[in-house]
Amino acid sequence: MHTTSISPYVVETQGLTKSFGERTVVRGVDLRVPRGSAFGYLGPNGAGKTTLIRMLLGLTPASSGQMQLLGLPVPERRADALARVGAIVEEPRFHGHLTGRENLRVVAAARGTEAFDRIDGALEQVGLTARAGDRVKTYSLGMRQRLGIARCLLADPELLILDEPMNGLDPAGIQEFRVFVRSFVEEGRTIVLSSHLLDEVEKTCDHVAIVDGGTIVAQGSIAELRGEGHTLFVETDDHQLARRVLGESTAVERIVDDGTVLAVSILDARVIPDLNRRLVEAGVSVRRLEPQQASLEQRFLEITTRLENAA
Amino acid sequence: MTAFALPAPRLVAADVLKLRKNRSLAVVTSLLTIGAVAITVLVIELMHVANPAKNGPVGGVNNLGHFASLIGLLGAAAAAIVGSRVGAGDKDAGVYRDLVVTGRSRTSLFLSRIPAGAAFLLPFVAAAYAFAAVSSVALAGSNPMPDTRLLALTGLWTVLSVAFFYLLSVAVAALLGSRSYAIGVVLAFRLAITPVIASISALGVVRELMPGVAIQSLAPSALGDAARMGPAIPMSTGAVAAVLVGWAVVAVAAAGWRDVSRDA
Repeated sequence: MHTTSISPYVVETQGLTKSFGERTVVRGVDLRVPRGSAFGYLGPNGAGKTTLIRMLLGLTPASSGQMQLLGLPVPERRADALARVGAIVEEPRFHGHLTGRENLRVVAAARGTEAFDRIDGALEQVGLTARAGDRVKTYSLGMRQRLGIARCLLADPELLILDEPMNGLDPAGIQEFRVFVRSFVEEGRTIVLSSHLLDEVEKTCDHVAIVDGGTIVAQGSIAELRGEGHTLFVETDDHQLARRVLGESTAVERIVDDGTVLAVSILDARVIPDLNRRLVEAGVSVRRLEPQQASLEQRFLEITTRLENAA
Repeated sequence: MTAFALPAPRLVAADVLKLRKNRSLAVVTSLLTIGAVAITVLVIELMHVANPAKNGPVGGVNNLGHFASLIGLLGAAAAAIVGSRVGAGDKDAGVYRDLVVTGRSRTSLFLSRIPAGAAFLLPFVAAAYAFAAVSSVALAGSNPMPDTRLLALTGLWTVLSVAFFYLLSVAVAALLGSRSYAIGVVLAFRLAITPVIASISALGVVRELMPGVAIQSLAPSALGDAARMGPAIPMSTGAVAAVLVGWAVVAVAAAGWRDVSRDA
């Protein structure tokens, strides 16, 4: 795959702000989307997700701030950047009286000669080859979503920006979409997926930014945001001995014993194999050694609750 | 990226495809142009056959003027419908933003739509006029038959009239961002406002600023009153050209600016 830039981030914004009159919907956003990631842009409805995407794509001007797409400043070099970007903003829309293939031809005409050669491959990739000759007005919402992705693929995109892409997909469609995202990212490409569905973002993405009230309140890898591994649940045949062994490690901050399970607070998840080794060498039979799996939803609620309390 | 700002032939072809595959648009356009002339010819011919002493033949110079006037009038309605679809069809369908995110300049997208709509509309107008011209010669009967020069001049005048209102419709639709409003505005301007202003002689030379008046003054004189709607207001060719070019340039420039500056 040809890449247009060596920047480690495919999307970077600095102090990006958008106001409509007195109302500010995007407020000083500093966003960094790592190259080759499946990036979730997560927030409730009305958080300013779509407005940020619209600014990135040049559909609406920013009130202030800077943006770079694929390492290129926009809007100054918007055309160069967008040549390798595919996007679905809000729901995918088409000319209903044209067939799926004709709708792709219309967009390919705007993109350039190479895009025409990608039409068949894009239709095949989204499983619409058999229905490509049917008018789009006969398509289901799920089929339109897939045709929207096929339209994005005409750009041979380094970056795919999808706004609420799982709307209208049935469970099988969602599963297919996750597989598509993984294969897309494995090719070294990047996908930015805006959604209000925390669970879906958690299952599909490896990096995330949480946005609320037009501001990014947290961003990083999913593991970082979940705080994964900072609490360890341990079950053994000898809790007393296990407590003593674990307590000797400088990586352990605190141990709470409820009689059945030890809840061990640790500074760094990387020490878990070492703790396991210590227990086994001390003759403790370990039945369970499990990092706490806090969900993104828990973290999201913690963050937004903290912000509400602070306000 | 300069070439990316220019209308590309493939982009024009894609815009023609959007129009050509729209069955209802094709049916309405053909009815307002070819259909209107065909029905008129048929009715007049039937009346002539039924009572030749009372009803004259379909053909002749005078009826050619009537046909040209009919095509100009209903062609303006077709122009408003096609032009408004060209000017605001992508926005109405919600696909304009998908074209913008290709990186193609909005100016290029706008300029590509104009020839595409003309390529769709004008063949209908030309066919309607060709039918009228053939009828005016073949079915002239005892009426004076139009010569080749008059046929050519009348044809050019008819196509120019429709083409101008098509261009105006594209611009108004792009400015308003709405097909239905654009159709209403253009038809009101063509069918109501222009005749009213043209009939107010107190306005004097101001009337010549109306494009409908300027186009009317270009009608071949041999057609006489047959092709006239409203009072005769003579204008020089230079004045006509200035009025039409001025309207076209201002309308397209304003529409292009609006297309580029509005949120997609």
